[in-house]
Amino acid sequence: MRRARQISQLLFFALFVFLFLQARYPYDARLPSEVFIQASPLAALAVLFAQKAVYPAMLIAVPVLIVTLIAGRVFCGWVCPLGTLIDASDKLFVRKKRPAGASRRFRNVKYVVLIFILVAALFSVQYVGYFDPLALLWRTFAIVLYPMFSLILFALFQTTFQIGIFDDAVYALYDFAQKTILPVEQPHFQHGAFILIIFVAILVMGAPTRRFWCRNLCPLGALLALFSRHRFLNRVVDESCTQCGLCTTSCRMNAVSEDALAADAAECIVCGECVDRCPEHSIRYTFLSTAPAKIDLSKRRLLQAGLLGLTGAVAARTLGLNKAGENSLIRPPGALAENEFMDACVRCQECVKICASTGGCLQPAGLQAGWEGVWTPIAQMRQGYCEFNCTLCGEICPTGAIQKLALPEKQKTKIGRAVFDKDICIPWAEHKDCLVCEEHCPLPEKAIKFDSRSVKLPGGELRVVKLPYVVENLCIGCGICETKCPLVGKAGIVITPMSNEQKAAVV
Amino acid sequence: MRCFSRRQFMLQTSVLAAAACVTGLPAASGIELIAKTMNASPAQLANKAVELLGGMGAFVKPGQSVLIKPNIGWDRLPEQAATTNPEMVAAVITLCRKAGAKKIRVLDRTCNQARRCYSRSGIEAAAKNAGAEVRFVIDSRFKSVAIPDGRVLNTWPIYKDVFDFDVLINMPIAKVHSLSGLTLGMKNVMGLLGGDRGEIHKGFAEKIVDINTVIRPTLTIVDAYRILLHNGPSGGSLDDVVRKEVVFASRDAVAVDAAAASLFDIRASTLDYLVNAEKRGLGSMNADKSRFKTFDFRA
Repeated sequence: MRRARQISQLLFFALFVFLFLQARYPYDARLPSEVFIQASPLAALAVLFAQKAVYPAMLIAVPVLIVTLIAGRVFCGWVCPLGTLIDASDKLFVRKKRPAGASRRFRNVKYVVLIFILVAALFSVQYVGYFDPLALLWRTFAIVLYPMFSLILFALFQTTFQIGIFDDAVYALYDFAQKTILPVEQPHFQHGAFILIIFVAILVMGAPTRRFWCRNLCPLGALLALFSRHRFLNRVVDESCTQCGLCTTSCRMNAVSEDALAADAAECIVCGECVDRCPEHSIRYTFLSTAPAKIDLSKRRLLQAGLLGLTGAVAARTLGLNKAGENSLIRPPGALAENEFMDACVRCQECVKICASTGGCLQPAGLQAGWEGVWTPIAQMRQGYCEFNCTLCGEICPTGAIQKLALPEKQKTKIGRAVFDKDICIPWAEHKDCLVCEEHCPLPEKAIKFDSRSVKLPGGELRVVKLPYVVENLCIGCGICETKCPLVGKAGIVITPMSNEQKAAVV
Repeated sequence: MRCFSRRQFMLQTSVLAAAACVTGLPAASGIELIAKTMNASPAQLANKAVELLGGMGAFVKPGQSVLIKPNIGWDRLPEQAATTNPEMVAAVITLCRKAGAKKIRVLDRTCNQARRCYSRSGIEAAAKNAGAEVRFVIDSRFKSVAIPDGRVLNTWPIYKDVFDFDVLINMPIAKVHSLSGLTLGMKNVMGLLGGDRGEIHKGFAEKIVDINTVIRPTLTIVDAYRILLHNGPSGGSLDDVVRKEVVFASRDAVAVDAAAASLFDIRASTLDYLVNAEKRGLGSMNADKSRFKTFDFRA
């Protein structure tokens, strides 16, 4: 049974990695990269609570709940790729056997986390993305692990090109890698260090106690635990049991009672470890109805968790760094209006990852978007731009925070507008011709135009210079002008945000 | 499999050095022919133009390697005339293969994301079908190259393949350009440059000539099958495109650009970079009729 579970874990993990790598241009929507996040009942529920509306694509989380109702937390044991990584990292930690009667006192913390998230979501503050294991893992892959991986590959190619051996073959290999796994160029994301620390912490928690995160903290685990209380797939111990206690001490979820006979239906993830370990072969899983598992959460604790959620929601709004947040950010094209966007976004970074394979403007936000907006996607045009012919962020967004736009519609969607900084722009400030912004402007009519004027040079000599300006009703704020501006450091043309009303104005 | 021997190292180094030295000499003596073909398909136009110059055998010897540099700069369709015609690229590849080229590689450093440009321009598919390698540009293959004759630039990172390959065929598409006036062959070699290319645009008329003293195409074929009359170089609107069905080709990079300017009703003498290039011995703008070999498919 353990072997079957390990194979399942490996297959789902491989699927996760495959779908992660698949989030790139050209995107094949038949292999939807977003499906893992949509399958999280926690994310679905939190988005539902915040938006007060059902997002149909996330209904695929319902079958996960149904499976849990019948078979318990098999998702945690057999599917969850974060769980798999936690299990795999176990091998790294040397650990003494769990002493009998090991503490179960943190077990309820996960319910507190769950209630905190859901209550805050009801008040339209979305914390789910920071805790949902699937969003968390996607984010870690996108912002930390994948850039590390690509850096190594790029360095290998660079070295072999420098040495010059097998040049043609290596170049062909590079071409292949560029089409399959490599990003266009090495991505640089802010906040990678924080995201890495959280990920490492989750793995290291497993050093003293196996699956510490899953037992005690994971809010998705908590939600699934609630649903598995009445499960039908249960652990049965026959009379050959000698109560040697091996199953109790080897259980990674600490779900087996001290007398080895009972397993906590809310905690057991059906990993099969006890079945395989039992020297007497006394344990098996079978479908039968038992008394529901008790979750020992006092009313006082429930109230505390609810209050915490409320406080969290209020804190997010009052401790937020700027009230102007709503109008100070450039969101991806097709993003819902700011408030609704914040309700729906689960900070998974799918859009950021796929954007890095085309224009590359998206970044996880720091505190620019306020406390509650950390790691929501924002466009930073100096490092990349919004590709005119691209609609991928909307196609891949798992929660509809970024709407799918048809290409003609996207090409008219304003995400900001370009303004010249005439103090540094070369034609304005230096009286020399430069046209890089206009050259790259993707609009057929060109949103940047020139006004040829005669200017006086220091020697008194007159020269005709083409002075660029922005035609506001044409510009959609794609930002390629800012990306490509040849000035070093600050660009001579920058994209500034627009209000919802300005964005809605017809192009 | 190729092994990197000392001999090879010496050879490559000397080729690089030679390439750097050659720039001191006036390459085109002003008597290079200019082929002009009109009114046919992109492939026919290119085939005939090369034939008028003595056939591809005059440029590519059996066993040589050929680097073809079309304009693949933009995420645009061939009909939008921002990128070189894919059928024409394929035709030139076929000519090279028939001439016995052992390796033909096609690449360009694009402005939009490379994979988008390679695919939407149609050039990737056409060139692969015709039997060429199509490769993405990677930063680590740019080498800093000295420009001994540079007036403004002394050095610039240039794609190493330019010097590793025996033959360079430059295949620009003719377009208007808001800074240089027109973008033709001499401007098209910018796709072989690394570094911050925006910098080239400041003082363009000298810098682009500096670059052209070290990147010397064996043959320039200007695609004027469709030309972009407004909003170049990236265009986008079909209203700005005119189907001219013309090709110019020559060894002389200056002459061929000057000839192509005629399609836009722009006098070559108003294009500063061409004037500079001629002064510095890169070729001759003199459009003496005796230099032209013209073929009109409709005539």
